Formats: sequence, C-alpha cells, structure tokens
Amino acid sequence: MILANYIAAGLLFSIGLLAVLTRRNLIKIILGLSLMEASTYLLMVSMAYRRHSTAPVLTSPPDGKSAADLVHGNVADPVLQNFCLTAIVIGVAVTAVFLSAAVRVAQHYRSVDADDMTALKG
Amino acid sequence: MNDPAAVEHAKQEPRAENDLHRPAIGFALAGAVLAVLVIGVVDLPRAAAALPDIARHAMEIALPKWGQNEVVSEIVYGSRGWDTFGETFLLLAAVVSVVTLTRSPEPRTEYVGESMAGREEQQEVDPKGGGESGEEEQAREAEANEEDGKSDLAPNSDDLPLGARAPERAAGMSVVVRVGARIAAVPLGVAAFYLCLWGYTPGGGFPAGAAVMGVVLVMYTAFGRGAVSRAVRPTVVEPIELLGAMAIIAIGLFGLLFKDSMFANFLTLAVPGTIRAGGTNQLFSGSELIEVATGLTIAVFSLLGMKHDWAPDEDGDGDGDGAGRGSDDERRRKGTGRESDQEREA
Repeated sequence: MILANYIAAGLLFSIGLLAVLTRRNLIKIILGLSLMEASTYLLMVSMAYRRHSTAPVLTSPPDGKSAADLVHGNVADPVLQNFCLTAIVIGVAVTAVFLSAAVRVAQHYRSVDADDMTALKG
Repeated sequence: MNDPAAVEHAKQEPRAENDLHRPAIGFALAGAVLAVLVIGVVDLPRAAAALPDIARHAMEIALPKWGQNEVVSEIVYGSRGWDTFGETFLLLAAVVSVVTLTRSPEPRTEYVGESMAGREEQQEVDPKGGGESGEEEQAREAEANEEDGKSDLAPNSDDLPLGARAPERAAGMSVVVRVGARIAAVPLGVAAFYLCLWGYTPGGGFPAGAAVMGVVLVMYTAFGRGAVSRAVRPTVVEPIELLGAMAIIAIGLFGLLFKDSMFANFLTLAVPGTIRAGGTNQLFSGSELIEVATGLTIAVFSLLGMKHDWAPDEDGDGDGDGAGRGSDDERRRKGTGRESDQEREA
C-alpha cells in the first residue's frame, strides 16, 4: 500500500500550503514551507521503494551469485534516493535563508506579523 | 459604517476584515491542490513497478565505468555530477544570502566608512542616537560586553561550590553535559569522516558534512557560543568553504580537459571497495564534505550570532509587538517616524 505514502505526502504538502496561506506569523509560514519540503522527501523515498528489494549496493552477493546478478536484481531506485539526499541539504540551507530574513524583518518592524509588512504595498 | 470613528478604526486595522476570507481562501486553495495531487499520485509507479531505465543504467555503469559498488554515490558524483555541481552552488548561494542578511550593516569602516562620514548629519536628525530606551541601551551594552569577553554570564553552570544554587545565566552547561559532549564529539567526528571516505567508498559528502555540523552544534550547546566561536571564526571557515567550492570546480574542469566532458573521471580506477575506488568521485565527495560542513556551519552560526540590530521602539512600551511600528504610512501619519523628522528638517 505505497499509495498511502503518496497520499500522505500530498496531504502534508497541502497542510504546509494551508499554513503558508492562512498564518500571518512569519515563523509559522516558514514551518509551513518546511513541511511542504518534507512532503517531497516522503514522496521521493516512497517512489524509490520496491517490494522485497535490497539497497542499491553492488557488494556481498549471496552464494552462487555475482555482482553482475545484483545489477539486474530487484533494488530500490537509487536515482530518487539521490534526489532526496541532495534536497535535504539544500532544504536546510534555504530554511536558514528564510529564518535570517524573518529575524531581520522582525528587527526592522518589531513584529513577525505579515500584515505589518506593508512597505511594498502599492 | 457611517460612524466616522468606526471608519477610522477599520482603516487602522484592515486585518479585522480579513479574518474570515483568509482561512476560506486558504482552505479552498489547499483543498484544490490536495485534490490535484491525489489525482496525480494515483498514477505514479507503485512498489511492483520495474525500475526506470535511468536507474537501471546507473546500476549497469557503476562498476565498469566508475569502479564503485555504491550506486547512489555513483549517481550523485558521477552520472549526475553536473547537477550536483549546480546544487552545491545553490547551497553556496544560500549561505552567502544568510551571511549577507545576518551581518550587521554598520560600521563598514574598512570599506567606505559611511558611518563616520554621516555622523554629524545623523546627530542632527537623531540626537539620541536611534531613540533607544534605557532597556535597549542596556541590551546593546550587554551584547558588546559579550563580544569582548566581558560578559556577566558565568562561564559554566558548575563554577560555584558544590551544593550551591546553579547560576541563572551561564554560557556553558554543567560538567556532566560538557564531559558527555567531549566524549561524543570524537566518535561522531570520526564517523562523519568515515561516512565520507570509506562507507562503500566513496560514501556521501552530503550526509558526512551534515554530521560534522552536528558535532559543532553539540559543542556549541555544551560549551556556549564564546568557546566555540574561537574555533568557528568566519575568517577561518569561509576560506575553507571557498576552497571546497574551488576544488569542485577544478575536478569538473580537469574532467573537461582530460576526458572531454565536465566531471568525467580522469583518474585510474582502483579496486572497488577500497579507499581510492570511484576515481574522481572520491575527490568530489571529499570536496562536498568540506563545502557542506562549512556552509551549513556558517549558515547556522550566522543565525545564532545575529547582532542586536533592532529598529527603535517608537511607542516606547518595550513589548516589541509591532503595535506602534506598523507601516511607513502609519508612521508618517503618527508623525513619529524618522522620515517625518527629516521632512521637518527639510
């Protein structure tokens, strides 16, 4: 039932989006964005899963099998695992940018309420 | 809404009118996105699907082309090396953004000296120097003292005699935590480097870099900012990060020079499973360790070490709730903003 994981990822993304759209507190908006980010990790790892598969590592083949057999064996998708790995590190850095901007905004406006930030309002 | 007072009140608090439509629009949009996502994910490959061709191709070339048996690393630094290069510089851009946002804008005497040049004009416009309250002056003074090492914080929470009440404010945690952190830091640090250099060789520079940052954070938690900032100085960490970035560029360019494509392997392949396996992938992974560890450390410590740089509390209530700040328009209306002072000067 990997479909449940996919739907859970969609649900998490929507909850994050809901927080971004309805919350006025900048920290809660950043939490919403992080939740949206995390939902993509869940989706990618779930999409990489294969039933009864092994890790995509070509070492220690079982008796009577070679590394070449492992190449054509049943393994989890390494490409999606790789996407997830890099996305996590980039996600941390981007969240740090958001938080830095939030602290600066709080220092300038003495508020973390998005409604108080009207300097660019036309 | 004919009452003038009510109209004025509505103008001052526009958010009051939005209280209902914001959640309504939010729920409608998030619900619509959820519906689209659910329809989309139903058709995604399931657990019984065959591997995509690109994944199977990566499995097939990992050993013969790159001489390594860890396929995820082969994809990160080999098949998708060019993408990883882009992601690394996205990380670098994010770190530069954090540093730019968090560094105090003044004084930049070593570059242009505008704080010195504009001192007289600033004194005329704002004789009180930012209109700070006594509390804010105290906070700035405490921060300056902390930077100079003259903080009134106790260095550690166990400086007092045994049985005495613990200090209210201390830079470092208790001796139990500090000893625990010292003990944990060594195996954690070794594990991070092992993860990069040896785990199925080459392992992962990305997770290893994150683990190194974790070690630094453990030390920060146990010993406080003062102790760690002696080692984690921007003048030391930033050049190391740029060296990591330059090493990645060099690996890519040497591939172009010797093998006609960026990030192509130009080294002799060693026996799979040994520390030199993977050709240039091992170098790429090591450079990535440097880049990620220093980049994340700079980002986190820039955030933790942000200077006291608050705008003046114009309503003077010190609660920092923004009630008296509001928009520039509001400030002009109230006649308390610095712009109003400048207009009067003009």
